[in-house]
Amino acid sequence: MATRFSRRAVALGIVGALALTSCSGGNSSNNSNNDGDSTSGGTLVVDTAFSLETGDPGRNYVPTGNTILRPIYETLLTFEGGDESEPVPGLATMEVNDEATEFTFTLDEGRTFSDGSVVDADDVMFSFERLMGMEASKANHLVVDIDIEKIDTQTVMISTDEPYLQLPAIVTNPALGILNSEVVIENGGTTDDTDAAEEFLNGTSVGSGPYQLDSFNLTTQVVLVPNPEYNGDQPAQYDRIVVRNVTEAATQLTNLRGGDSHLALDLSGDQVAQLEGDFDINAGPGAQQIFLFVNQSDEVSGDLANPKLAEAIRYALDYDALLELSGEGASQATGVIPPMFPGALDGGIEQDLDRAAAALEESGYDGSTLTLRFPNDQPIGGVDFTTLAERVQSQLAEADINIELAPAPFATEIDPYVNGTAEFAMWYWGPDFADSSSFLPFGPSETVGTRAGWPAEAAPEIADLVTQARNATDVDEREQAFAEFATALQEEGPFIPLIVPARSFASSGVDGVNYNSNWTIDLAELTPAQ
Amino acid sequence: MTTATKAARSRTRGSALPRYILQRLITSVLLLIGVTIVTFILTAIVPGDPIAAALGEGARENEATVAAYRERYGMDRPLPERYWIYLVSLVQGDLGTSIRTSRPVLEELAVALPATIEVAVASVILSLAVALVLGTIAAYRAGRLPDQVIRVLSLIGLSVPTFWLAIITYRFFFMELGWAPGSGRLSPTLNPPPQVTGLYLVDFAIDGDHVGFIDAAAHLALPVLVLSLFTVGLLTRFIRTSVLEVLSSDYIRAARAKGLPGRRIIGGYLLRGASLPILTMLGIAFGSLLSGTVLVEAIFAWPGLGTYAYNAAINLDLPAVMGVGLVVGVIYVGINLVVDLMYSVLDPRVRLR
Repeated sequence: MATRFSRRAVALGIVGALALTSCSGGNSSNNSNNDGDSTSGGTLVVDTAFSLETGDPGRNYVPTGNTILRPIYETLLTFEGGDESEPVPGLATMEVNDEATEFTFTLDEGRTFSDGSVVDADDVMFSFERLMGMEASKANHLVVDIDIEKIDTQTVMISTDEPYLQLPAIVTNPALGILNSEVVIENGGTTDDTDAAEEFLNGTSVGSGPYQLDSFNLTTQVVLVPNPEYNGDQPAQYDRIVVRNVTEAATQLTNLRGGDSHLALDLSGDQVAQLEGDFDINAGPGAQQIFLFVNQSDEVSGDLANPKLAEAIRYALDYDALLELSGEGASQATGVIPPMFPGALDGGIEQDLDRAAAALEESGYDGSTLTLRFPNDQPIGGVDFTTLAERVQSQLAEADINIELAPAPFATEIDPYVNGTAEFAMWYWGPDFADSSSFLPFGPSETVGTRAGWPAEAAPEIADLVTQARNATDVDEREQAFAEFATALQEEGPFIPLIVPARSFASSGVDGVNYNSNWTIDLAELTPAQ
Repeated sequence: MTTATKAARSRTRGSALPRYILQRLITSVLLLIGVTIVTFILTAIVPGDPIAAALGEGARENEATVAAYRERYGMDRPLPERYWIYLVSLVQGDLGTSIRTSRPVLEELAVALPATIEVAVASVILSLAVALVLGTIAAYRAGRLPDQVIRVLSLIGLSVPTFWLAIITYRFFFMELGWAPGSGRLSPTLNPPPQVTGLYLVDFAIDGDHVGFIDAAAHLALPVLVLSLFTVGLLTRFIRTSVLEVLSSDYIRAARAKGLPGRRIIGGYLLRGASLPILTMLGIAFGSLLSGTVLVEAIFAWPGLGTYAYNAAINLDLPAVMGVGLVVGVIYVGINLVVDLMYSVLDPRVRLR
């Protein structure tokens, strides 16, 4: 009897639960069976491996954050598509004085935020001063060398002590997106280190871009919807953009092929090569480069602390064979500046075993084993560092240079790299902002140069080239200085640039997919395929 | 047995249970303090600077930012002081702030943990149901064809790498056949339910949203299937062995001799008698599912505890690492406590002292 009763109770429970869920109906406004057809606007689904940390532009300095914040918060200047050679007007136009120390920005008339209020100079002042005040922001370094003042309601001037032609590129960074100051101040925003607006900005967007936040989740997905008050010249093309966190590139590929997403951002060159049919492929060199360096400090490298060993390694490598590991779209690193930036060299080093042997003899190398340190858990553009290091090892063995591999996780390997205690290492470098000056740290006594134990006294001519490039007041003269700097490094620097890994995107039914080192892709530029 | 004896025994059991639970809770607290010490020391001795790992190149060169980060996360204080601050905060329910996201670790775990619990609970229920049937059949037909087939199947379940199975099943059922939905917990066109428990099925049911409920259930299916295969294999072999032992016991022979129907023998005597080792293994399997699903989570883009732990570890996000360590410790301690308590319920011979 008891058994029969309990069976009935279970059966009734199941029926009740089903009735409860099926009769009440779907009541979420968005929970309809939308197939996400992007050809009529609709929903665009983008898969990427999240590096998202915040929805607050002033605190953001990671790639996924840039991708998401870019269409929400407009900047004073911007870039068009994948062309990063020269910034173009965004919310403002710019004029610069002859000394390249005063940059005057004039805002477009009548541009509005998502609440309908007008963008003015006070908003620009607040957005910049807020970032200047937030020393704990990763983006704070972008504004440490500048001063800003309001000229009138439509005009601000940014000034610097030294010539600063990188400023136009810096102000394109989404961390310098212009916020609606009134709303942010109402919600805890300040221009000092007491700012408490991050939580508010994680849930609400207050920009002037074509999209605004609908929902924001750091671990799953971010949903953007059109900003109804947008009055710029690039209105939203989709009713809804869903950017999902899909960490596995294989899953991104499967989702795209299965029709669950429209755009995959983290595919390797090999994965892109697997795609057939109606998928659009966008594969080309990215903005990061992988390089080797031989430490020039006597304390670290002893007798081998001379540029000749670096030269021997530079000419002993077969770069075409290394490139085979990188897949479609990657290119040889022709110098420390990747090909998309002014000053990049046209051609790279070609293997020359005779020159390598001569340099090796001059270096005093005695056949001892060098330890190659590298991070092994952060592939760049699908290039696995361990595989690359193994190939470097085998190629150098043929040139009688013996190395042993010492891989370690990024989080632990970063210490010897940053502290300059690595004798021989493989690392990567990407720009802090879309400008060639982001690669001047490879100069002697600069950030990466110091890590490689390379003081200015060791290469005073190259140190002068760094100064010339940094202080140039003319664009052409500046580009020439960068090219000379990159050439000199290839001649006598401690660095061996290897590969510029590809950024490979695959999409279905989407136009306007272009790589940009600032924000990876510009969601605002994406349109349903015609 | 007299009524007075029964009453006395009942009183003894009545007072033993709360005392036992209290003892176990005290032990558990001590154990968890031990967990915090071990995780704290481990995170402290890991070679690497968490602040250097957290900051990008430009920020790393900005002394003001580095100093602000060190101060905010207490990295400028001596180790014992940091541990003391951590413990005091812990008592107040504060697991610290993630270095990577600047958000409270507790808030982040409150999102990641339900995602994993949902898939783990469903996997355990499915695994137990399937394994009970297969294990019992195998034991009843020991040495014959059904037993051989089930043993081979369970061996396959134990041997197939779970991450590989996840990739294959996802490609086959989603991409090739179109029977399963895409990755994640929900289709991109849907909004998550208002958070009550964090378990999407429960929250959608509470919200009365049948579209969301069905979609969440469909997204749960493949991860559960993949995770269940190993657990089914494990439990089936255990259940088979346990049932075989009980089958040869006197009380089962007596029940058969009395002519009791087979279904009643299995439900009322056999499985109950075999339940203790099964329960132990079930507890272990549940704990493993809660804390060890990182690869499956990655393949199905399931934002659970495994993914959170992995991201915390590779980014040297020490507060998050310690938070995960503590949560996993609590899970195992809790499961062990429940299993031990159920022992006394399932087998009256097990007395609580």
